[in-house]
Amino acid sequence: MKKFRSVSGIFMLVFALFIATAFAEDPEERMNKLEETVKKQEKTIEQQQKTVDSLKEEMEKQKASLESDVSSASLQTGGLFGGSSLTNPNISVVLNTFMYSSSLKNEELDQRGIPGFTRGGIERRRGFNLEAAELFFFASVDPYFTMYTTIPITEDGTEVEEAYVVTTSLPAGFQIKGGKFKGGFSRLNAQHPHVWDFTDIALPYRAFLGNEGLGGEKGVQLTYLPSLPVYTLLGAEVLQGESNLLFGPDAGSGPHAFSFFVKSSLDTSDNSTLYLGPSVLFGKTKNTGLVPGSVPDLGAEVRGDSALYGFEMVWKWKPSSQQGFILQSEYLYLSQEGDLKDFGATIVEPLVRRQDGFYVQANYRMNRWRIGGRYDRLALFSDAFKLAGTEQDLGSTPWRATGSLEFIPSEFSRIRLQYTHDRSARDGRENNEVIAQFIVGIGAHAGHAF
Amino acid sequence: MRKLILIFLMSVFASVAHAEARLNVVTTLPWIGSLAQELGKDRVSVTTLVKANQDPHMLEAKPSMILAARKADIILYNGLDLEIGYLPLILVASKNPAIMPGRPGNCDCSRFVRVIDKPATVDRGMGDVHPLGNPHYHFSPGNILKVAEGMAAALADLDQANADFYRANFEAFAVKLREKRKQWSSLPLNGKRFIAYHRLFEYLAADFGFRIIGYVEPKPGIPPSAAHIERLIEDMKRSRPDGILTTGIYGKKEAESLSAKTGVRVIVLPNDAGAGKGTDDWFSFMDAALTSLR
Repeated sequence: MKKFRSVSGIFMLVFALFIATAFAEDPEERMNKLEETVKKQEKTIEQQQKTVDSLKEEMEKQKASLESDVSSASLQTGGLFGGSSLTNPNISVVLNTFMYSSSLKNEELDQRGIPGFTRGGIERRRGFNLEAAELFFFASVDPYFTMYTTIPITEDGTEVEEAYVVTTSLPAGFQIKGGKFKGGFSRLNAQHPHVWDFTDIALPYRAFLGNEGLGGEKGVQLTYLPSLPVYTLLGAEVLQGESNLLFGPDAGSGPHAFSFFVKSSLDTSDNSTLYLGPSVLFGKTKNTGLVPGSVPDLGAEVRGDSALYGFEMVWKWKPSSQQGFILQSEYLYLSQEGDLKDFGATIVEPLVRRQDGFYVQANYRMNRWRIGGRYDRLALFSDAFKLAGTEQDLGSTPWRATGSLEFIPSEFSRIRLQYTHDRSARDGRENNEVIAQFIVGIGAHAGHAF
Repeated sequence: MRKLILIFLMSVFASVAHAEARLNVVTTLPWIGSLAQELGKDRVSVTTLVKANQDPHMLEAKPSMILAARKADIILYNGLDLEIGYLPLILVASKNPAIMPGRPGNCDCSRFVRVIDKPATVDRGMGDVHPLGNPHYHFSPGNILKVAEGMAAALADLDQANADFYRANFEAFAVKLREKRKQWSSLPLNGKRFIAYHRLFEYLAADFGFRIIGYVEPKPGIPPSAAHIERLIEDMKRSRPDGILTTGIYGKKEAESLSAKTGVRVIVLPNDAGAGKGTDDWFSFMDAALTSLR
């Protein structure tokens, strides 16, 4: 133990001596040495930093080139209608169903035509009704065409209401639509029933074209959108003419209905747009839709030439996605000349019709609620129905007034409550209707035209 | 009369000749227009279809938009199905084959973007979900750099005489963006927690390190019910978020009533370039958005 103490004592002494000699060296020289070392280290660090920086830069570059590889790899776009629809077209189903109540009985509704315009009654039944479950399919065909089909499924079966292609590659503002489609004459005609602002079509349409308007017609449409300062669309159509009220499948041996239309539009402010234009639909007529005839089972047939002139006007104001106002009005004027053949009385008499009608409607939306009103009326300026040169007295002026309230949970569903006071039958008997309608859609549905 | 016709024809030719001189660029959203203007300067004439105060989800294809698309040499759009309700209609109705998908005149800006929030399953019961991912990437500087690069390439591809001009403008844009990003990254946003009205700020949160811990909308595009608000208020009392984020175009009223009940402040961000004072271009829009978050 003693020995250890003495050894450590010697070690301590040597250490103390060493330190003493170290400090005994010139301190200035030491400082210089230290400074030099620090400087050397600084230089190394600097060099290392440079290497790190250049490495970083290189990495960034590599990353960037990788990223641009990623972006060029995802160059394929989603296609015209978005998403991917290579193997399947876009499909949607729109259900249009309503509950109907009326102050008239079902048999009375059946017989409720508009004398001098149409003998077609009201097809709705008191209670639950299924208007249709409409199937829509659409997709790009190839770089030159897109195709659309509308197949309403009703309780009576299915029909091809629309099936047509539209060109997408014609130059200079031209476009051709061909197949079976809702034509460009006037406004409500081209819209599907689920887009209408009210459950039923306006009175002039029902009177001149039928309960669903002209509907789908087979034919070809050419439209031209010139590059003008103001939106002006020009269109012409050649149609088969199978409507059973204005034309008729056997009225001509080939296509026998034609239309011309102009649609013009101007933004009246950032939030509002005016849309208007004249159109005409004319052709040969041969059908039994006009009057029941002296023996209703046998009927009466109109043969001749018809021209229906229309003027549409829409003004929309949409200050935000939650609020909007639409004012819409159309005027239709029919000029028809021909013969009326009464099968019951077996007589043929010359027939001249100069009749008109109009409607005006307004809708206001706030958040999920929308209210609307409509007034439609026939025989506004002209009410000529001349049979064998004699003016016929067909009764009082047909008119209706409609109010509606809608709740819109989302853009895919709509609940509508509608009341209509209907005096269109010209016999003084009114029809008071209340309709609760539910429209829902699933699937990919194409946006609606303005 | 003949003189009048002559004057009319001459003015038509003059306007045609004038239009020829510049590339006609049509964009859907204002920020895209701002970028196109920045890259094309005086060689392009930019028409923007959507106004900054309009909800880009819910728009109608107005005829004036169709007419603009008719005259377009190139259409630049956000993509990811944001404009699905009106853009397909505008493209088809424009009768302008140059801007159809697959052509150089059709530029979907989302293809240059790293998309986030892409849902694994989609059902409309989930609300207005974007199946291709969150489309509001204009809040993301990193993605915007890529978009600007792609946009410059698209312009150069279409207008090769000015290709170098567009590329040089992109370089200048990239430099400016780098400077700006330095500034923005010094903002103390990291770790902040917010409530948002709509899923609009996900890219902003990802890029600047803050979190969005709840939404006023129960599902995208679905207005909140009373029960949902009740629950949210309870959550917010516990979590004390740094603010309620919304924009001027929707959700402001709901956010304000929520603020009154919880004492958490409302922060109104611009939704796009041009929404509010001093947000004329994309840079000032981002400046305004980010400084409002501080």
